[in-house]
Amino acid sequence: MKPAIEVKNLQKIYEGGLEALKGINLSIPQGSFYGLLGPNGAGKTTTIGIITGLVNITSGSATIMGHDSVKEFRQARKLIGLSPQELNFDVFFSIGELLELQAGYYGISNKEAKERTSVMLEQFGLTEKRNSRARELSGGMKRRVQIAKALVHDPQIVILDEPTAGVDIELRHMLWDYLRQINKEGKTILLTTHYIEEAEQLCETVSIINDGKIIVTDSPDNLTRSHGMSGLEITLTSEVTDLKLNPWTFNIIDGKIHVNIDHPEKEMAKVINQISEQGGGIENVRIFRSSLEDIFLKLTGKSLHDDEESIDIQEKTLIV
Amino acid sequence: MFSLGFWVMVKREIKRFMFLYKQTLLPSVISSGLYIIVFGAAMGSRIGEIKGVEYIHFIMPGLVMMAVINPAYQNTSSSIMQAKFLRFIEDILITPLSGLEISLSYIIGGTVRGVANGVLVLLLGYFLTGLQIDNWFLTFFYLFTVAWAFAGVGVIVGIYAKSWDSIMVITNFFFMPLFFLGGVFYSIEMLPEFWRNFSMVNPLYWMINGLRYATLGIAETSHELSLGISILFAISFSTLASYMFSKGYRIKT
Repeated sequence: MKPAIEVKNLQKIYEGGLEALKGINLSIPQGSFYGLLGPNGAGKTTTIGIITGLVNITSGSATIMGHDSVKEFRQARKLIGLSPQELNFDVFFSIGELLELQAGYYGISNKEAKERTSVMLEQFGLTEKRNSRARELSGGMKRRVQIAKALVHDPQIVILDEPTAGVDIELRHMLWDYLRQINKEGKTILLTTHYIEEAEQLCETVSIINDGKIIVTDSPDNLTRSHGMSGLEITLTSEVTDLKLNPWTFNIIDGKIHVNIDHPEKEMAKVINQISEQGGGIENVRIFRSSLEDIFLKLTGKSLHDDEESIDIQEKTLIV
Repeated sequence: MFSLGFWVMVKREIKRFMFLYKQTLLPSVISSGLYIIVFGAAMGSRIGEIKGVEYIHFIMPGLVMMAVINPAYQNTSSSIMQAKFLRFIEDILITPLSGLEISLSYIIGGTVRGVANGVLVLLLGYFLTGLQIDNWFLTFFYLFTVAWAFAGVGVIVGIYAKSWDSIMVITNFFFMPLFFLGGVFYSIEMLPEFWRNFSMVNPLYWMINGLRYATLGIAETSHELSLGISILFAISFSTLASYMFSKGYRIKT
């Protein structure tokens, strides 16, 4: 089966000499939920721009289900729906007309475009806003319209550039559920996001891009396993002299024992047993594990959202 | 040859200016009406006839051309500029439409608006001055060809422009002088030699001369050359506009 999106040796040099992409390769399987993570200026939007035809290629190639994005742009673009990060609306038309026009640009008949528009309006809770202009809507509703525009022609591949940026939690979770549903129905989804939890929750595979290069591609679980740390943080009621924990290594930081373990849930009982046998009283045990964000920080040296709020804390605490 | 999406895009362009009819259709009727009253009724009786026709009828082809060229140009340039400015041009660029289809849909939208304005001014001329058309087919051919050419100019300027100023510069500093030196209100035979020679290299002069031949049956210079220049401009500008869209010049990065 041909990949949904395949990018080979993609290079982009903008006027003025900025090399935004330095020969990247990506292969996104059909039906997958794929995340592209990177700090601002890493090359995410340029990559998406090339795939969708908004940015010209300097060298290399991008194919969509085997169709070259330049030479066979008609076939390629029919397969893609894009929701750009920046909200953009044709100001002359109502929400309903906007969606009908967008479907029409993809060659969908007037009758079918009206039907698809009704489905999208219903899906995103916008039916009552059908005759409203975009400027009359709240930020969250505008974002819904933006995503509905990307989906109105029923594309096989959906590209979402920061789809939940600035939306409330309720809408974010509604969108997550919907994206999971359409992915389950067979659509390929390429997502860029600042919210690490979003990538962890939704994506089967994640590519981290930095400075125009793909640094690593793997599942979120494998990434945290291969590039991160995990273990147990144990607080004792009394000190143990000359503590030995075989076969694990450990450090004592601020009176707490940090034991490095690949599978802390599995090994926790053995560690607690060894400490008890050496006379240690246990007050608290906490599992720690590097989040995807830690991995991202480790690999790129940059945070994904210095100025954004964190939406969850990636740790589990166990009180014994 | 053209996809269904292309016709949807054409429909969008026509709906856009129809929605804004107070800005896109009425102004040329009002300004042409004022020209007819001031130049025709007030001054016409003193000037008498030019080339055997009443002065008010002599100026009508020029007024019609003004009503065709400005709106055709403004329609495409402002539509593209707005789409660029508000970034909804991306919604069009990501679709399967080719550069040729996108540029032609803008040009057709501008042409329809230009021709609609021209027809409205012709009707105004009929009701206010009793204007009779000598050759309907040729008249429509000129309206269509000239509107197409300047809609093409509008696409080129719309693509090139980085601000609204650039669009208005063309209207105020190019079209307006070319109109007034293009024989709208006089015969170029009335001009001193220098300005007469200048008029001969003014494309708008040839277009007005051609429409004057089509509507009134009189021409100061070659009608065939007028036709050739109008067609050449229409083909050249629409080809360049389509090329620019296909290459993504100043639209794609």
